[in-house]
Amino acid sequence: MSAGTEMAIRARGVTKLFGRGTDQVVALDGVDLEVAEGEFVCLLGRSGCGKSTLLSMIAGLTRPSEGEIDMGGRRVGMMFQDSNLFPWLTVEGNIHLALRLSGAPKDQWADRTAELLDMVHLPGMQLRRPHELSGGMRQRVALARSLAQDCQILLMDEPFAALDAITRDALHDQIERVWAERRLTIVFVTHNVREAARLGDRVVVMQPSPGRIAEEVRVTLARPRKMDDPLIATRAAALHDKLDKYHVIAEQGRTS
Amino acid sequence: MSAPAGQRTAFAARLGRLWARTWPPLLGVAILLGAWQLLYLVEFRPPWVFPSPGEVATSLVELARDPVSWSALGTTLTRGVVGFGLALLLGTALGIALSASRVLRSAIGSLLTGLQTMPSIAWFPFAILLFGLTEQAILFVVILGAVPSIANGLISGIDDVPPALVRTAHTLGARGFSMYRYVVVPAALPTYVAGLKQGWAFAWRSLMAGELLVVIAARPSLGVQMTFFREFADTAPLLATMIVILVIGMVVDGVLSRVSNRVRLRRGLGAVRL
Ligand SMILES: Nc1ncnc2c1ncn2[C@@H]1O[C@H](COP(=O)(O)OP(=O)(O)OP(=O)(O)O)[C@@H](O)[C@H]1O
Ligand SMILES: [Mg+2]
Repeated sequence: MSAGTEMAIRARGVTKLFGRGTDQVVALDGVDLEVAEGEFVCLLGRSGCGKSTLLSMIAGLTRPSEGEIDMGGRRVGMMFQDSNLFPWLTVEGNIHLALRLSGAPKDQWADRTAELLDMVHLPGMQLRRPHELSGGMRQRVALARSLAQDCQILLMDEPFAALDAITRDALHDQIERVWAERRLTIVFVTHNVREAARLGDRVVVMQPSPGRIAEEVRVTLARPRKMDDPLIATRAAALHDKLDKYHVIAEQGRTS
Repeated sequence: MSAPAGQRTAFAARLGRLWARTWPPLLGVAILLGAWQLLYLVEFRPPWVFPSPGEVATSLVELARDPVSWSALGTTLTRGVVGFGLALLLGTALGIALSASRVLRSAIGSLLTGLQTMPSIAWFPFAILLFGLTEQAILFVVILGAVPSIANGLISGIDDVPPALVRTAHTLGARGFSMYRYVVVPAALPTYVAGLKQGWAFAWRSLMAGELLVVIAARPSLGVQMTFFREFADTAPLLATMIVILVIGMVVDGVLSRVSNRVRLRRGLGAVRL
């Protein structure tokens, strides 16, 4: 972030509590996060450390218990951990609905849809129904749908968790390209250290119970990157050690 | 050479599937008719109050030749269509209103569910006092019978829209009307159609009760016809009329079931047998 870069997302002191009394869960505890416009940030953390909770607050789906999040009026799109395709619509219908809701002219829908489906390696799947697709295929349709909307900030919650390595590599290339072309701001949640090192300008490492930001790591490799680059493997190994460390700290905190 | 042969096997396969679907109900009807004929033969009741299937079939043919019974059928069907149609409009409007307004919901929500359990025939004495022996009295009860099921179907359909889909739609930019139009209503459709099915069953029952109780002079209907046959102890045409009533109810229910199955199959909700 050079001086003068505008912030797309500013989260200050964000705390999220679920439940009441003895059942209360502190999902997030005083999280400060700033994401610059056009930045690609990866949120990395073990299961249950509040990554999805943070994303849904940025998307405006739930309110923080304390603190505030400001996007400066930018349009936010989100891709969920589950594909959440509309089961009464075909693949095409799902993408068309995203285009309709973001105001794209109707005569462009067919072309845009074909383009997006090519991009997620599902050409010609327009007329399939969600229940006829595999889990990974559904996830890719959801990716196409989230890219169909006209947003400035894109939040992605483990979009590629259900995919094989080869498809995932190809989609990493695509997402990196779209991000650069459209100058998107992306917050990308993952468990996968290699994926975080492959995609992020910055990796925000989170720790569980309560969810906090443990550390931020800048990844300064040139783009476009390649997954098999040994430098990525080195960064990934370093991230892995950090994850381990914060997990152990959290465990000790809980037992003491 | 091979194309016609292929067509022939395809045709045979279709015929086979049709047969696989038709023989169980045919067998059911055959067993029923056999038992009926047997009861008739052992004279479980005197033949003039318990006719044979053959006599009833003859009555059916005679009724079909009689223009008066066609006009009776016409009157009854018109009442059914008008009553169910009005109940559909009212029930849908009520369902939308109740699922949109929390106040309205807590005001009359449980009353509506209560009405669903109330036998609609219990409304007739009141309806007759209110409207006299008129069309309105019948329609009033038919509508009261069907509206709660239709409204409740829509309400529970809307209540059960998966929250994840609503959130997804929200992030795609759906708000207010577009949320309803593109997400809530389509998601609620299967339950709504189930409510329509139940609504039809109640409407048809209420209509028959109404036609037996509210006899309007010089206007033949299936109910009036049945009353007439009972008074003359003419059991065969009475049973023939009952068969007509059964078949109409089944046909409409069958159409609604098909709609419901299509809606469910398209979204991968068909029954699974393991
Ligand atoms: N609606 C809810 N009600 C109660 N607790 C919740 C709710 N949503 C999340 N939590 C709790 O908040 C914590 C964080 O959940 P969250 O889904 O954000 O984790 P995550 O980091 O996304 O995990 P994963 O990687 O497994 O998806 C968990 O302990 C979870 O049990
Ligand atoms: Mg999650």
